[in-house]
Amino acid sequence: MLSNFLKSTILSKILVAVTGLLLVLFIVGHTLGNLLVYLGPNAINTYALGLKKLGALLWVVRGGLIFAVLIHIIATIRLTLYNKTAKPINYTVTGYITSTFSSRTMAIAGLTILFFVIYHLLHFTLGVTNPEFMKLETNLHGENVHDVFTMMITGFRNPLVSGFYILAVSFLGLHLNHGVKSLFHTLGIAGPIFTPMIAKISTVFAIVICGALISIPISVMLRIVGGAI
Amino acid sequence: MKLKLNIWRQKNAKTDGKMTSYQLNHVEEDMSFLEMLDILNEDLILKGDDPVAFDHDCREGICGACSMTINGTPHGPEKETTTCQLHMRKFKDGQTINIEPFRAKAFPVIKDLVVDRNAFDRIMQKGGYISVRTGQAQDANNIPISKKNADLAMDAAACIGCGACVAACPNGAAMLFVSAKVNQFALLPQGQIERKERVIGMVNQMEAEGFGACTNHFECEAACPKSISVKFIAKLNTEYLKATLTKNSF
Ligand code: HEM
Ligand code: FES
Repeated sequence: MLSNFLKSTILSKILVAVTGLLLVLFIVGHTLGNLLVYLGPNAINTYALGLKKLGALLWVVRGGLIFAVLIHIIATIRLTLYNKTAKPINYTVTGYITSTFSSRTMAIAGLTILFFVIYHLLHFTLGVTNPEFMKLETNLHGENVHDVFTMMITGFRNPLVSGFYILAVSFLGLHLNHGVKSLFHTLGIAGPIFTPMIAKISTVFAIVICGALISIPISVMLRIVGGAI
Repeated sequence: MKLKLNIWRQKNAKTDGKMTSYQLNHVEEDMSFLEMLDILNEDLILKGDDPVAFDHDCREGICGACSMTINGTPHGPEKETTTCQLHMRKFKDGQTINIEPFRAKAFPVIKDLVVDRNAFDRIMQKGGYISVRTGQAQDANNIPISKKNADLAMDAAACIGCGACVAACPNGAAMLFVSAKVNQFALLPQGQIERKERVIGMVNQMEAEGFGACTNHFECEAACPKSISVKFIAKLNTEYLKATLTKNSF
């Protein structure tokens, strides 16, 4: 079934749209969760503990996300390479009218996000780059829990880490600017009112997500958040 | 008007081509773009040079033959207009104009600005028709069709198959063409019998010809001389999905 889907360009696109939608939903949740850092250590540490306590359910969600990401990447890389062969020569002067910088840089933005996500997981989730992060503990209502707040603050105090984060999230913004409107069209939801409207919503959504995520490392570096650490 | 033309010259399908510059000093504003090329060709023939080969037929914007990309836009800068209906008053005196053939792997160059668009005909052969007897003119009026569907089908049927959508698409995709042809039948009762085989056959042939996949840049709609809407591409996606999922062999 999956291989049948990957053999067809239209069905591959539908896979990209469905997995893209799942990733969009994930990004919304992840962004809202991260914004808890503004409410102080207890808020975000409680949230992190809550996620951990989901136990098996957390792994089902993680498994689903990993599967979605893999399909998204396999399908988009295949489509991008295929599309390159379908247009071997471009014009000496290009006269683009409706395509955007976002729409023409989906693959580059996607790959940047991919490299970032790999680093991000090694950094904050698996503790490979900074094993000391995993040992950070704090007391939450009498319970010893992982100190996610301190980990975020210490992590983002490093300008290189914050710089890469801001760059990757900017690319995510570009990716979402085209991706959100594009996914609806691919799934067959289109019309003279809906299509221009979703294009605008897509841009606003991308700016809001991108702005919210980027504000975190900036606030940390300016010591607006976690100034005491 | 005076114009500098940079035109893609290519002897035949096997040789490499290159952009060549020409100067035209007596272009009238009221000439069509093709008449301007006719003037250039008369000059070239008088000089003993090879005239620039380009496709044209009706010269009244209905056949879709006149294929060329002008300053990066298929059929040139004027919206909803074929090259033959484009007039020189849309250009400025002293302007440089780049003229290139429609570009896509599935549209190989035959000579200069002429490309081979037979791939479109082979797609049509896979389902761009109906095989029921539709009777005489009055019989058509005996089948009730909703106003909405009749209008949509007519919008799709406005496609003249010129290939500008493919030429404009950064991916060389033929989705606008195929979606127009598929939907014009899918929307009408006469098109129901072969509905599934049609969409599967035409889409599979589209891929076999090497046309790219849609990434929703919407350049096709902007370049289309008949303003075929990209909403037909959205409909084609679901039409194809439904047909493959309900096909026995899937
Ligand atoms: C959080 C991460 C991501 C989100 C939220 C996301 C979201 C999306 C969405 C919504 C689409 C539009 C689907 C459509 O056109 O129907 C899309 C397309 C695409 N994505 Fe992603 N994506 C993510 C990660 C990635 C990664 C890691 C890659 C690359 C390795 C990637 C490469 C692409 C490409 C090449 C397209 C196709 C572009 C197009 O159709 O114009 N994406 N993505
Ligand atoms: S020559 Fe027929 S449409 Fe231009």
